[in-house]
Amino acid sequence: MIGVTEFIDTVVRNQAFILRSTGRHLLICAAALLAGTAVAVPAGVLLSYHKKAAGAVLTVFSVINTVPSMVLLGAAMILFGLGVAPSVAVLFLYSLLPILRSTYTGITGIDPRYIKAASGMGMNRRQILLGVKLPLAAPSVISGVRLSAVYVISWATLAAFIGGGGLGDVIWIGLQSYNFHLVFCGAIPATVLALLVSWALNRVVRAVQKHVDGGVTS
Amino acid sequence: MAYGTNYVLKNIDLHIKEGQLAVLIGPSGCGKTTTLQLINRLISPVGGRIIVNGSDISAADPVQLRRNMGYVIQEIGLFPHMTIRRNIETVPRLLGWSRERQTARTLELLKLVGMDETYLDRYPSGLSGGQQQRIGLLRALAADPPIILMDEPFGALDPITRQSLQDEIMRLQKKLNKTVVFVTHDMDEALKIADVIILMKGGAIVQSAVPKELLRHPANEFVESFIGKRRTGSGTPETIGDVMSSRVICAGPGMSAVEAVDLMRREHVSSLFITDGDRRLLGQVTIADLQDAGLSGDPVLSEFTHTDIPALRLSDSARDAFSLMMHEHIDELPVLDDDGRIAGLVTRRSMVVSLARAVWQGDRRD
Amino acid sequence: MNWTGMLSAAAVHLEITFAGVLIGTAIGLPLAALLIRFPRLGRGVFLVIDAIQTVPTLAMLTFVMLAFGLNEVTVVVSIVLYTLFPITRNAYVGLTSADAGIIRAGRGLGMTPLQIFTGIRLPLAVPMILTGIRLAVVAALAIATTGVFIGAGGLGMLIWRGIQTRNTTMMLSGAVPVSLLAVFFEFSIGLLEKKLRRI
Repeated sequence: MIGVTEFIDTVVRNQAFILRSTGRHLLICAAALLAGTAVAVPAGVLLSYHKKAAGAVLTVFSVINTVPSMVLLGAAMILFGLGVAPSVAVLFLYSLLPILRSTYTGITGIDPRYIKAASGMGMNRRQILLGVKLPLAAPSVISGVRLSAVYVISWATLAAFIGGGGLGDVIWIGLQSYNFHLVFCGAIPATVLALLVSWALNRVVRAVQKHVDGGVTS
Repeated sequence: MAYGTNYVLKNIDLHIKEGQLAVLIGPSGCGKTTTLQLINRLISPVGGRIIVNGSDISAADPVQLRRNMGYVIQEIGLFPHMTIRRNIETVPRLLGWSRERQTARTLELLKLVGMDETYLDRYPSGLSGGQQQRIGLLRALAADPPIILMDEPFGALDPITRQSLQDEIMRLQKKLNKTVVFVTHDMDEALKIADVIILMKGGAIVQSAVPKELLRHPANEFVESFIGKRRTGSGTPETIGDVMSSRVICAGPGMSAVEAVDLMRREHVSSLFITDGDRRLLGQVTIADLQDAGLSGDPVLSEFTHTDIPALRLSDSARDAFSLMMHEHIDELPVLDDDGRIAGLVTRRSMVVSLARAVWQGDRRD
Repeated sequence: MNWTGMLSAAAVHLEITFAGVLIGTAIGLPLAALLIRFPRLGRGVFLVIDAIQTVPTLAMLTFVMLAFGLNEVTVVVSIVLYTLFPITRNAYVGLTSADAGIIRAGRGLGMTPLQIFTGIRLPLAVPMILTGIRLAVVAALAIATTGVFIGAGGLGMLIWRGIQTRNTTMMLSGAVPVSLLAVFFEFSIGLLEKKLRRI
């Protein structure tokens, strides 16, 4: 069905389109993820101080994430129309749960002895949060960001269908015109992007975990 | 102080003098940890007052209060993501000390416990439990607080490390003149280190006294049984092992007389026990024997050895040893195992020390 | 409101979903068991499964489409691939969670490796396996929804056509059932997990 020379040909002929779409894809993913992290991490911290509310909040968000992404994308389109903004809004919403959950479990999962020592020595709540809780929860938080990043990159391919642009556009036009080489011009970069980001953030998690456990020396 | 409808502490009235090492002890649930946590306001009282250094602590800011007290916990709790240096400097940092002052203080603290600077850039995970808790101690002492609170600090450590840290805290407390409030459930530990012991049960103080007083005049049956249950290894000496010393200076038959004299001088003993390669007793040589002989011809010990010397077996009783020593006017008796190897030495001194222990039940600060 | 259309789309959707999940479980569970037996394979296998998981859904559908064409089979195969991660990983964790002491006791009583597996490890692993199945079902429903773009039927088709023709009713006739199905399975299997965990 596809041949290598035809594929390379297609890439060259459509390079502007592919590059533009890749750029747009990165943009909407980055925007959603950054906004998501900026909201979900503090929210997760807040939840850790109100454990009773945490159950309810996490349940609400997990329902949102259970619903297939196409449904939310469609709803966003109906409510807000086509374009980048509705797409980013939906992606932002989806990115919240993994980070929220991992921040919450990261903080509440810290061995209580460190909190006991810290408060007994006279650290106030802010100092305990910044000096002890967040550093120790960091691997978990970043792990959640990694998960969100992978999801967002995947869902962003669907955002193309509500006018968000991105590599989904390349795939869709390829499918519509039965140009399967073009389809892969979209599918492959999306895959590579996801694998790369996942690997990179994994390395970050591992490095941070090592530091939290006690440095690289001795 | 109450948990739910259960009162953990019932009307306690406690005074601790400045500069004392006070030990709170009692069975689980007696309220000792709760009492400790009232002092640094980790817990708030339902009624009554807590006065530290003349002021009521309920008026003070709890965070400031705690920065002015040292706190050491059983789980140690050194922050794993910080170096040893950062761990120690936690409170000085909070208090806003200058970098120079922090560093100077940290080095001073390390010297106090004989640890060297290479520890500073290491992380807690690279240290043993005993070393970690030593650092935990330094962390508590860092801002030079007048009061140190310790909640079963050595409970998670092995017996040998525990002993060494007990010695350490006793030494430091005296040297630095700190008031220490120490919680434990180990009576041996309490008797060893305390200036005053406060025995608690069911949320009330049963007896508060110096260790000697507690042992001599227990207030009631509970106190007696609590001491009795925890005390191991004191009481009348029974076996040879109870009265013997393990310090025996031996030499081989081929050793030259000159060397032997030097050895005896160095070890401050007046005789040597001659053994073969397997530590089997062959005989004894006294300094007198060697002084009479001349040093001509480079003599060896085999020439002077008395082979027929009295000895004890491990299976003998302490009483036998005592009788033998008294009746035969012997100063020291080697103790042999079943294979004839030297296992220890019963001397007049070792006998007296173990009998004294039994009579006065005290080996705390001897 | 085209009820028959919706019901037939729902039927197709569920067929695809559960075909995929069932096959995925049929492969994933034995795979997990195999990894217990040969732990050294674990690293490589999980590396591959993790990578598959990371591939964006739409991209994966297009890759599989190469082999199976623009139809429902592609979607089912994609679902199988995606369910490998939750099913195998959760089953593996569940199977290895048996206390070493209990295993030793079993061995001491003379149980064969197979008996230890079926009698100790497997029963203790059931809650975690259910978790894996729950995650797989929810993911499968979403993948089946996306399947519309490579020519498969299902509720996704109603949503997409509804978006394309600005027909809100049609879109909802796809969106609402699929959402309800997702939430239903998430909660019911979740409840079952909780019940079994208490044992």
